[in-house]
Formats: sequence, structure tokens, C-alpha cells
Amino acid sequence: MSKTNSILDLIETGIKAENLRQKAIANNISNLETSGYRRIDVEFEKLLAKCLNSAGEVDLSKIEPQVYRPKQTPVKSNGNDVDFEAEVGEMIKNTLRHKAYIRLLSKKYRQIELAMDVGGR
Amino acid sequence: MEVDNVFDPIDITISGLRAQGKQMEIISSNVANARTTDAGRGEPYRRLEAVFKSDGDIEGVKIDKILTDMSDFLKVFDPGNPHADEDGYVAMPNVNLPVEMMNLNIATRMYQANVAVLRRYQQMVETTLELLR
Repeated sequence: MSKTNSILDLIETGIKAENLRQKAIANNISNLETSGYRRIDVEFEKLLAKCLNSAGEVDLSKIEPQVYRPKQTPVKSNGNDVDFEAEVGEMIKNTLRHKAYIRLLSKKYRQIELAMDVGGR
Repeated sequence: MEVDNVFDPIDITISGLRAQGKQMEIISSNVANARTTDAGRGEPYRRLEAVFKSDGDIEGVKIDKILTDMSDFLKVFDPGNPHADEDGYVAMPNVNLPVEMMNLNIATRMYQANVAVLRRYQQMVETTLELLR
């Protein structure tokens, strides 16, 4: 796979993961008062790091963000473990990461367009 | 703790928000039980007090433990009360409403301060992201 594709792939995988995480957070917040509900989280950065550290060519489109239920969070009296403030914090972090990916993507497109302009003249 | 240090300030302010949320819970328990003469242990309700703790130099805050205030109960003359002693006095909880109102104000302001830091830090990161435009 060429280098150009791999950067776009990386950004795409990242945006997909942030999308999924945003959905998980929305799900957690809407179940704030649901008794017995355990919060869900998305694992992506760890999988990505493991993939990037491994030797040889990696296919980034193969990395799938995983939804999981963390077991160690303290549970409230109604069996629910969602903390509103923590979810808002996660959402802010997620938004910032998403913004970074989007900016990188537009930067990359601008680069490609520049190359095409030079070729056309 | 997570690896990405860029987001540490966010985790720290969130820990502040959570601690103040818990503090609010304790204040509301104190205010709600300001006239509870029977807290189930044969004595009136004792007011609760949160102890905040930090684990390191740059670390979030957390509620270490919730202590009960061991100061004396207030004696109120009320002979008709079933909890009254032979002299007609009833032991009332050691909750002092003005103190609770003050703590409520402090907790609210602390919460607002943490939100202000959070918002400002978010703006800072967004300024950095502007460089990528």
C-alpha cells in the first residue's frame, strides 16, 4: 500500500472510532438513570498503537474499534455506574480528537489538490 | 491514568466536578435531616463532613472519607415530642443551617471554577488545532 493511502486510512479509521465513541457516550448519558445499566466504552488507541508497533506493513482499515463494558467503575445503589461529569469530560476529549482528525484530513486534501494544480499547469 | 497527557487537565477538572457533586450530596443530606431526631442509632442525625484528598503533586481531587461531626446536639424544649427526655428537652441534630448554606455556596462556586478551567483549556487546545487549518 502506498504512503498517501495509509495517511488517509489512518485518519478515516480515527474518525470512525471517534464517531463510535460519541455514540457510546450519548448512549451512556441517555441511560444516566436506568437502573442496572453499565456504561460502555470504546477501545481504539490501544489497538492502533499495537498495530503501528508491529513490524511490517499494516492494513489500517482492518483496525476495528471495539465496544466494551469496563468492570472496575464504582456502581451506584441502583446498579448503574454512569457518572455524568465523567461522560461530559470524555465527550470534550472526543470532540477535540475528532477536530484534530478533521483538520488533518482537510490539510491532506489541500496537499493533494496542490499537487494536482501543479500538474495541470 | 491514560497515556495522553494532553487531556490530563480535563481529567483533573472532571475530578473536581465529581468531588463538588459529592459535596452537594452531603450538604443536601445535612439540610434534609436538619430536624431528624431519630437517625436509627438511638440518637439524632449527626451532620456529615467530606474530607478532600489529592494523591500526588499534579493530580485530581477525590473525596477521601466522609466523617460525622461529633459536636454536641442542640437541646430544644418540646415536652410533647415522643423523643423528649424527662425534663421535656429533645436533642436536635447538630446541623447548623447557615453553615450549610455557606458550604453550599462554596460548593457551587468551586463547581463553576472547575467548569471555567475546563472551558478555558478546551479553548487552548482548539487554538492549537487552529494551526492545522
